Amino acid sequence: MNSSEFETLRPRIYNYLGFHKMGRSPETDALVADCVAELEKTARFRYIYTVEETVPGFLKKPPYSEFLEGASGVMISAMTLGIEVDKKINRLFHTDVSRGAAMDASASAYLEYLSDKKERELGAKGPRFCPGYGGSSVGDLKFIFEILHTEKIGITLNESDFMLPSKSMAGIIALGKEGRLSCRGCFMAGSCEFLKEGKTCFDQVKK
Amino acid sequence: MLRPGEKIAVFDGGFGSELERLGLGGIPEELNITAPEAIKSIHRSYSCADVITANTFGLNPIKYKGKYSLRELALAAVENARAAEKPVFFDVGPTGAMMEPIGSLSFEDAYEAYKQVALSSKDIADGYILETFSDLYEIKAAILAFKENTDLPVFATMTFDASGRTLTGTSPEIAALTLSGLGADVLGVNCSLGPRELIPTVKRLLDSTDRPVIVQPNRGIPVLENGRTVYKLSTEEFDESVGQMVEMGVSIIGGCCGTTPEFIKKISRFSGQPVRPHEYIPHTAVCSSDAYLCIDGVKICGERLNPTGKKALKEALVAENLDYLVDEAIKQQDAGADLLDVNAGLPQIDEKALMPKIVKKIQEYCDLPLQIDSSDSAAVEAAVRVYNGIPLINSVNGEPEVMEKIFPIAKKYGAVVLGLAMDRSGVPRTPAGRVKIAKRIISEAEKYGIPKEKIMIDTLVVTASAEQELVGVTLEALAEVSKMGIKTALGVSNVSFGLPNRPLINRTFLSMAMERGLNMPILNPLDGEMTGAVRAYELLRGIDEGAGRFIEIYKDFTPSATAASVKTKGDGAQAKNLYECVKSGLKGRAKDLTEEELKTRPPLEVVNEVLIKALDEVGALYEQGKLFLPQLISSAEAAKEAFSVITAHMPKDSASKGRVVLATVTGDVHDIGKNIVKVVIGSYGWEVIDLGKDVPPERVVEAVKKYSPLAVGLSALMTTTVAGMEKTISALREAGCEAKIFVGGAVLNQETADRIGADYYTKDALSMAKKLDEVFNK
Repeated sequence: MNSSEFETLRPRIYNYLGFHKMGRSPETDALVADCVAELEKTARFRYIYTVEETVPGFLKKPPYSEFLEGASGVMISAMTLGIEVDKKINRLFHTDVSRGAAMDASASAYLEYLSDKKERELGAKGPRFCPGYGGSSVGDLKFIFEILHTEKIGITLNESDFMLPSKSMAGIIALGKEGRLSCRGCFMAGSCEFLKEGKTCFDQVKK
Repeated sequence: MLRPGEKIAVFDGGFGSELERLGLGGIPEELNITAPEAIKSIHRSYSCADVITANTFGLNPIKYKGKYSLRELALAAVENARAAEKPVFFDVGPTGAMMEPIGSLSFEDAYEAYKQVALSSKDIADGYILETFSDLYEIKAAILAFKENTDLPVFATMTFDASGRTLTGTSPEIAALTLSGLGADVLGVNCSLGPRELIPTVKRLLDSTDRPVIVQPNRGIPVLENGRTVYKLSTEEFDESVGQMVEMGVSIIGGCCGTTPEFIKKISRFSGQPVRPHEYIPHTAVCSSDAYLCIDGVKICGERLNPTGKKALKEALVAENLDYLVDEAIKQQDAGADLLDVNAGLPQIDEKALMPKIVKKIQEYCDLPLQIDSSDSAAVEAAVRVYNGIPLINSVNGEPEVMEKIFPIAKKYGAVVLGLAMDRSGVPRTPAGRVKIAKRIISEAEKYGIPKEKIMIDTLVVTASAEQELVGVTLEALAEVSKMGIKTALGVSNVSFGLPNRPLINRTFLSMAMERGLNMPILNPLDGEMTGAVRAYELLRGIDEGAGRFIEIYKDFTPSATAASVKTKGDGAQAKNLYECVKSGLKGRAKDLTEEELKTRPPLEVVNEVLIKALDEVGALYEQGKLFLPQLISSAEAAKEAFSVITAHMPKDSASKGRVVLATVTGDVHDIGKNIVKVVIGSYGWEVIDLGKDVPPERVVEAVKKYSPLAVGLSALMTTTVAGMEKTISALREAGCEAKIFVGGAVLNQETADRIGADYYTKDALSMAKKLDEVFNK
């Protein structure tokens, strides 16, 4: 990863660490740079996707229907950094908790970064909407899992709708229109630090 | 009649694509009952194959939750498959759930699920084909379930990606070693990639096993066209690559995703041909799920997880403080150990119950292979059973009764066994006497079907101070055994008991033994002189080609530097005193500076005047947004190190503010927040009992009864697991729990905490530490 790519990633990592209010620190910059370098070696990024012109049944209800309104199709995708990253984070929490916390945040941001990049390569331009956002149910993940057969890239869903490995994502992108995310109905809305400052989480992570 | 390894047999091809072609949707296994004629027609279309696979891939009680019983579906599936009038193998796929430790499916539950599959099909099928597994632990559970509950052949295949590993990191060598060891009749690879791309993986499998190998590739690498997955490889191309694999020595061929009856018909030309011989060079090897260790050259076995003479480890074992063992394991790995001895032999411990817990816990964090060390054969079996991979068993000796107990376990689980060159008459005083016992052990093992590469021999070190003349006997016997092609081991540091300057004697003896053919010294890897001697030997003997490893380890060496091979984090050079050290989060210096501080003032004063003040200042900066989370945690870790020193100087009851039980609730496998809380409240002097993640309510209740904590902290990350938190709180209340219940996690807030009946909600680790102090007036 070159330095300009890292500069795209760094603010996202700071967000996950809860530093959005703060200035930068050289120590933390160095720590997260180190974490990202390690992730580049450790992660086995995998993805699986499909492009559907006809919207599958589970997306025909709000808020998905609003998100997809006017779209020519939908890209449904799932991506993961693989189980090795979970193992690394677990081990760090045994040997060096502060580095573990930094690695966890870095891995979340790194997954988003690689996912965004891959989606653009695949021709999707708009924002990603994932079950659990905007009042939708994380329970809808199971439909994505059924459609994509995510087990082929090693992602499973547990009984509480947790994706495993934990650094995995599954979501949809509207094709042929400019999509827009919204905080309406987000489960974090009541306690969101960004909203209190009149900002949104997704605006912070745009380059 | 199938004769794997002698005549080439052909399995059938893709089933899902055929269902799609016929327009059959829904749960594939239910189609056995709802659309039997269509299923039969697919099976008939594959009658060119020698073996038909029943339509049962997803049929296990974890994955299948439909309206039919396993037995109903198994009967229908096998009956449908019989329409092709060929032997029918029951198709067994993964459960679809993630196994422990990353996921929550336990080894025991996976075993039970496959046992139910075995019991529902063993009287109707002709064999089992385990397919598309990527988790070594899951396929181990499955093989054991079918081997223990049926007499039918078990073929076991895994799926590898282009990097040559399964999704969970298992290499072909590890798969071959483990599946062969567990007694799979045939092993191999399915799905994954196309036949051409699979050739390197197949070569590695063939090189690593003497078992027949099966390959069922996809129809090439799929491409996406208009959002649809399309396979484009032609039957000719498929046939050509499969033909190459046949020439390499593959015994059984077939197809997976995208292949159709045309493909199987094409490759059926190989059916009945003699299997080409493939070269397999036997070698002594052990593995975990993602680390393979061939015992050649010199491999270091870490001895620090054996409680003999180690007070802190004894206490940790008695208290079941497995985190301590994990720390020891990681330290040894970082110091250069290649595998680790694990022993829990203390009179007050139920080894059979504890050893499996230890094995699972260490394997969660450390990927080194383990040596299961116990004189209790029941404990050995319990540990080896749940071990993920192929372990070493320590040990047998020349006594028939000992071998009778251990060899069946080693055979069943494929373990390597360490044999001690002694028997009831003691340790022979001549090299010939010890070699004779070694030969007895090897020949007795053969009777159980255990080949000699699965046996290692320890020619036993005696104490030079007591029997100086026997040191040479040990080494001569070692050289003899080595010449027999058997790998050797020695507990080297025993040689110096009772003598001054033990490190010098140990190091010299180690070098003498390595030169005589010692393959596995059992030693303390944290002793840099000992690991250094091994590294130097590897360099001088040309094992470390180009001296790369030696130079990497010692590039910064100066004669004045200490030889310790373990580096601690943070040099702490800037920290002048403990206060600065904690504030700056310099864990590496915390212990020394605490000792210094304790020379000038009493322990309690150090806590109140130094640690708490430093932590309060750090906490205030964090709350003001002037300090970052990793720095807060570093300070907490430094303070925790300091507390561990201070505790030793205080009366037992006054050392801790009280106990707190922490758990991430049932269904929730994300425990990073809880782990941060653990460090931070620990740094404030609270004794934390950490129950881990995905903890069922009854285990929290049980822990509260056992430890009588002042508080219980529950964490949940997602809305779906808040229900689990509520259940846990109800269970605690019903059980009469008097501890205050704290809740936290991303989706929690005061309102939710009130609704589910918690006593306190705290938004982060620091708030919880402060609230605990406030509530309990500490």
